[in-house]
Amino acid sequence: MANNYLTSESKKLATWYFTFAAILFGAQLLFGLVAAIQYVMPGFLFEILDFSVARTVHINALVIWMVFAMMGSVYWLLPDETGIETVGIGLGKLFYWVFVAAIVVVVLVYLFVQVGPADQTTIWFIMEGREYLEAPRWADIGIVVVVLGFIYNLYATGMKGKRTGIVTVLMADMLAFAGIYLAGMGYTDNISVDQFWWWWVIHLWVEATWEVFVGAIAAYGLIHMIGAHRKVVEMWLWIEVAMLFGSGILGIGHHYFWIGTPEYWWEIGALFSALEPLPLVAMFIHVLYDWGKQQGAQEAQGKEVSVVTNKPAFTWFVLQAFGNFLGAGVWGFFHTFPQVNLYTHGTQFTSAHGHLAFFGAYATILIGMFYIAVQNKNGIKVMKATKKSIWATCMIFGGVLGMTVALTLAGYVQVLVSRAQMGATWAGYFDGQAGIWFAQGMDWRLIMGVVTFIGFIILIKDLLSIGSATHHER
Amino acid sequence: MAQKSVWSDNRFWQRSASWITGFAAMLLIWLTFDTIPQIMMGNDTDIKEGVTKRVPGPTVINYKITYEMSKRRGHEIPVIGGANAEGTSSFQEKELFFGRDDWSQEEAMEMLALGKLASQAKNCMNCHTLLGNGAYYAPDLTKSWLDPMWGPEGPLQAMTGKSTKEEAMAEFLINPSQYPTHARMMPKLGITAAEAKGLVAFLKHMSTIDTNGFPRNFGKIKGAVHGK
Amino acid sequence: MVEEALILQDIHIDDFLTIFVSAGLVLVFGGFYVGIYTAVKAELLKPWIMPFAYIAWLCTAYCLYLMGSLMHVNDFTAKTLVVAGLSLLLIPHAVYYMLRRVHEENEYIHEENEEYVHEENEQHVQAKNEH
Repeated sequence: MANNYLTSESKKLATWYFTFAAILFGAQLLFGLVAAIQYVMPGFLFEILDFSVARTVHINALVIWMVFAMMGSVYWLLPDETGIETVGIGLGKLFYWVFVAAIVVVVLVYLFVQVGPADQTTIWFIMEGREYLEAPRWADIGIVVVVLGFIYNLYATGMKGKRTGIVTVLMADMLAFAGIYLAGMGYTDNISVDQFWWWWVIHLWVEATWEVFVGAIAAYGLIHMIGAHRKVVEMWLWIEVAMLFGSGILGIGHHYFWIGTPEYWWEIGALFSALEPLPLVAMFIHVLYDWGKQQGAQEAQGKEVSVVTNKPAFTWFVLQAFGNFLGAGVWGFFHTFPQVNLYTHGTQFTSAHGHLAFFGAYATILIGMFYIAVQNKNGIKVMKATKKSIWATCMIFGGVLGMTVALTLAGYVQVLVSRAQMGATWAGYFDGQAGIWFAQGMDWRLIMGVVTFIGFIILIKDLLSIGSATHHER
Repeated sequence: MAQKSVWSDNRFWQRSASWITGFAAMLLIWLTFDTIPQIMMGNDTDIKEGVTKRVPGPTVINYKITYEMSKRRGHEIPVIGGANAEGTSSFQEKELFFGRDDWSQEEAMEMLALGKLASQAKNCMNCHTLLGNGAYYAPDLTKSWLDPMWGPEGPLQAMTGKSTKEEAMAEFLINPSQYPTHARMMPKLGITAAEAKGLVAFLKHMSTIDTNGFPRNFGKIKGAVHGK
Repeated sequence: MVEEALILQDIHIDDFLTIFVSAGLVLVFGGFYVGIYTAVKAELLKPWIMPFAYIAWLCTAYCLYLMGSLMHVNDFTAKTLVVAGLSLLLIPHAVYYMLRRVHEENEYIHEENEEYVHEENEQHVQAKNEH
């Protein structure tokens, strides 16, 4: 890592973002392991670092590392897309440190203060206690300020330089992404109203704006890694935006089946959820088609070499198309209809879907961006996989898939025992948890979690060392 | 570039994407304007006048709550103060809550508000599910007020040595790790007596929210549903 | 208007597994259909494999039917499922049609990426002037 080939300040800043994202990714997996151990050995760290604390850090680190990597990705691609250096890079650097410091403080408070008395000071300074949006209000406001700074940079750069389709989509998407966060900042005594707005943030992030974001990143990746035609890729990006927002925005209905909201959400949720997998299928075709087309054109010219300029990154991009389809598509689809969701809502099924969808749709492509950064930082023309990158890819993907299958089996036991037979009472819940399949599911989840974690360590080692490998074309 | 098809025109797709997104967003906003008034919390006057709200007023804590199958809606609904001829809430039958059944709107609201705040301050949602959302490490709290385990015959009420459900729940919340409920115990979270009372009011109120029949077949004993 | 209850019947306990498996397979077969179709069109697979794509789609349709009937969906949801199934059938055709058109129209630009960027710049300026 001695030589830094990056000349763009924006790209240098992007590598900072990627670095902190990778650290948080590690924290996410570590606290996930603590929570997984607690399922198997309930006494583990009891009243020291309880499940609720471990899980809070697990899911918050997840969201924040992805936000960091997403911001990094934007800083990374802006100079390439607009043709100019990012405007306001000084502000970007300042806000990076503000953001990092805020996150460290929030996590320390989660770990060492944990809970507070039932008054507004807790909400302001310790925790808001709403899954995924636990961050206390001061941090909420901080996040909004930091993201506004980021959006200023994006808009100023987009308006000054060349505004490609990718940049235009990102500009619109990031504004929506930030704006939606405001819906989750209020406090209300009414749990139904609370969860109504809470889903605005969670759903409209992960099933609308984040999906569009990865669409844009995938477009960038296809242009830069396999030389796909910009015109085609960008047209395709607009179609994806139409399909994703067209199905995703109202797909929020599938979260409004049981929280006190009116029954018409059943129909809305069922209709748009049924359509939600279609863009995922379409994104999958797109990657496959463009790859085939480019490789075909190459071979027609008599060159047998691969068109891919970054093997590990491209592998993760392809896994994204596949993982998104599998995690968000297949695992989402089979419990999305109200008739079935009535039994699966709030079981390990949701958790299985969450694991594979977050990983498949987002973690994969962001890891791909890490590799692109490593490639350029080391001035490599064609980057090839190392043994480590292959091991890391297989272990992480296999590990997450294994966890998902284990959780799915556990969820199936819960549906049959706790829900269908015993009507979701506490007795039913405990009976379900005691089931042999459930217990084994949790054992396997832990084992697969360990596999994922080892894969992560290999990934980090690879990211740090692949640049100095000698088999790349420079 | 002369015979350009509209289907392969970026501008066309850009406009389509904008229109579709705009339309979906407007529809969501419109539906939000329809939904929010329907899930606003009712008040004591509604209850006195026999008006059923999806999220009823806080004074439901003065009434007996049940969860019964509605023929018309095809699923269970919360019934407050006993059922009328149509099978919906009659708001008649009262029930003591911490020794009183005449909590005023203000008093009840104060307890409920404290309970809701406590549910967030104590991070309940990262072990339990509320309305089915949250973590899956501990039981769902949506209808926990109605759960047989906490009822007069239930083992949990007996375990705390209290004679009423609300006192048993409050006692458990204050000292959860003293009571052997399950291998996965609830940790002590520093919940005060007032907060515990508020939390129980919050739980009782939550059981009266119309959740469109979630959870299904709640409280049916083992084997009652499909004879397994 | 007779109000139809969306959830009237319980799902039979033995049906859950079939429902989950068929719902999962809907997209697996759907993926095969789309994947095979695209791969054949992109000349990664031989044309004689194409019928298997349509066989996969038929399996998807059957899984949708199986899942829907065991879940006791109401009329509305049943229609939704039909629409989703047909959209899946059409999407790869539409996508392929559009991609081919774009590729054909832009074939000469592709050879020289520089030229394209140049054109894009012009469009950008033009768009600005329009405002």
